[in-house]
Amino acid sequence: MEGAHTERPGPKLINKLFAVAAAFGIILSLAGSTPAHDEKKGSQPGEKVERTISVDPQATITLCVASGSLTVRGWDKLQVRVRSLDAEQLDFRRIDKTKDPNTPAMRIDVMVLDKSSRANPKLDCQAIADVEMDVPAGATVQAQTRDGDIRIVGVAAAYAGSQNGDITIERASKLVEAGSVGGSIFLRDSSGRVNLSSAGGGVEATNVRGATGDDTFEVGTVSGDIQLDRIASPKVMAKTVSGTLKLSGALVKSGYYAFTNMTGDVVLALPHDASFRLNAKVSEKKDIVSEFPLTYISEVAATPPSPPGSKSVPPPPAGTGPKAPPAVKEKEKTPVKEKAMPRVGPVVTGPIVVARPAVVVPYVRRFEAICGTGDATISVASFGGMVMLKKL
Amino acid sequence: MTRCLDEAMLQSYFDGELSGEMMERATLHLASCSTCAAAAREMEEEIQLLTTALGAEFEASVPTEQLRQRIDAAVLDQRVGAASSRERAGFGAFVSSLLSFGTQRTLGYASLAMVVAFAAIFGLVKLRTTTEQPQPGNQVAVVPSSGPPSTPVVSPEINPVQVKSSEPQKNRDNIDRVYRSARPVAVKATVKANTGAPASEPVKLIPGERAYLQTIARLDSTIKANKKAMRPSLQVEYERNLAVVDRAIAATRSAAKKNPNDPDTADFMFAAYQSKVDLLNTIADARFGGGRSH
Repeated sequence: MEGAHTERPGPKLINKLFAVAAAFGIILSLAGSTPAHDEKKGSQPGEKVERTISVDPQATITLCVASGSLTVRGWDKLQVRVRSLDAEQLDFRRIDKTKDPNTPAMRIDVMVLDKSSRANPKLDCQAIADVEMDVPAGATVQAQTRDGDIRIVGVAAAYAGSQNGDITIERASKLVEAGSVGGSIFLRDSSGRVNLSSAGGGVEATNVRGATGDDTFEVGTVSGDIQLDRIASPKVMAKTVSGTLKLSGALVKSGYYAFTNMTGDVVLALPHDASFRLNAKVSEKKDIVSEFPLTYISEVAATPPSPPGSKSVPPPPAGTGPKAPPAVKEKEKTPVKEKAMPRVGPVVTGPIVVARPAVVVPYVRRFEAICGTGDATISVASFGGMVMLKKL
Repeated sequence: MTRCLDEAMLQSYFDGELSGEMMERATLHLASCSTCAAAAREMEEEIQLLTTALGAEFEASVPTEQLRQRIDAAVLDQRVGAASSRERAGFGAFVSSLLSFGTQRTLGYASLAMVVAFAAIFGLVKLRTTTEQPQPGNQVAVVPSSGPPSTPVVSPEINPVQVKSSEPQKNRDNIDRVYRSARPVAVKATVKANTGAPASEPVKLIPGERAYLQTIARLDSTIKANKKAMRPSLQVEYERNLAVVDRAIAATRSAAKKNPNDPDTADFMFAAYQSKVDLLNTIADARFGGGRSH
């Protein structure tokens, strides 16, 4: 007899239900293990770690690693975003005085942890990782590494330190301080107060100007060369021990430029219409070569008690020096602006070689001269090198 | 001066016993060599310690290194003079001198004869009282001589030479002993030099130079206080630039010394010193820094 009968669920259906439940469980477990946010604190090697935090527009952010390159860029968001491929973990440590989490952070330490430093988080700045960071354009950034390069672009103030790596800073608007032991420093298109120092590396600065009337531009090396191009700060001071010091570009009116060199040369390439007063100190063995018409105010024999016959020797007219080109005729073409300043010595024009005095008593010769109306002041001291003033 | 100063040189430096040129070289070297500067500081500290502890003993006057050198030189002259006179005289003169009986030589021979006579008497008495030593050759053993029994007791060919050669040696040994035992002598001289007493060749620092040297010494100590070895790359940069700065200091200092009335030359020297201070600061920061500076 065939009657309707209810079919009991067979093994196939049970298997299907079990498979569906298992698949659902797997999906849920996978969803639970994947972060819902793009922030990741820890990562597998080769995976990018990224962290973001809201900050004040003028926040101060510090970033340091033991080794690795650091790249910092200013952007228009009020956030700090840090990324790294090498770091195991990135964290922010707020060091504001106010600990209110609702207000944007004013001061932040970016903590970079790699495998070894993660084991001991108290070891700060010991990670080995390349790090990229975006900060508000008005922020102050302090970046430090031992071996890697540092590149900072478009921030208000930049402090950068590296032992062996190069430092490049561009478009800083208020302040730049950078120091390296063996690396080179490059500064471009910036303004504000500047202080750059490197022992063995060179320093190149291009298109830098003061943001305020008090801003100074200071640069110093031991053996590295210094190349300054279009520096428009009201006060420029550069010194090196054995490197070559070169300045090119227009002088700031009423600006003050001081250059000190021990054994290297000082080369100043200025516009043909440059107007400056020159205070120069060179050793008796070295020359000052000028392509500008210089009017001597005085040449000081630095030793006060000069023996008889060694009185202060005025600089000889052009042509008497060992390298003087035939420029004596120019002597009559006294600059029109001569009235502006008192004249003590003869007026000469270049190119000339300021010859050594016939009777040599002091080791260092000091003299003052003027070119044009003497708007800017250039103070040059070179112990063992030559001083050259070239026309651009 | 590129070589490091050894202990004797440093001691002489502190004692003010170096010549003017050497003193200047040593000063320059100390200004440029951190190792020697550290050694100098250590020696100076030892000197201070000894001075404090043995102040009373230093009041007694004792020979100095210079005195010792003078004594050595005198002894050497004496030896050389004697040797040359002997060479000039020759053997004949020597024999004739033996036969010429002056007062001193007569007394010498007489005393020698007395010694021999006493020895003979003593030997005879011994021979009689001791039956165990019948050999007459052993009589010679009584004579205070270390030579073999067959050696004549008195040999006029040997004695003068031995006496003349051994006496200076004894003197030298004695002097050496005295010198070694009186080693803190140098300390006394140092104390005098430090307290402004006139030394033979005092170090003349240019006014203002001392402050730089002290600062450099402190920074150098700070750098060395870190026991961890400097990283090779940093070490290379440090030494390379230090050499550059030291050369600049040496050159400018030499010029400043030659032109004491030229303030500009001194300015260059101070600028060179300042460069060294800056460099040491940079290295000290590199060694001890590395952290954040808030």
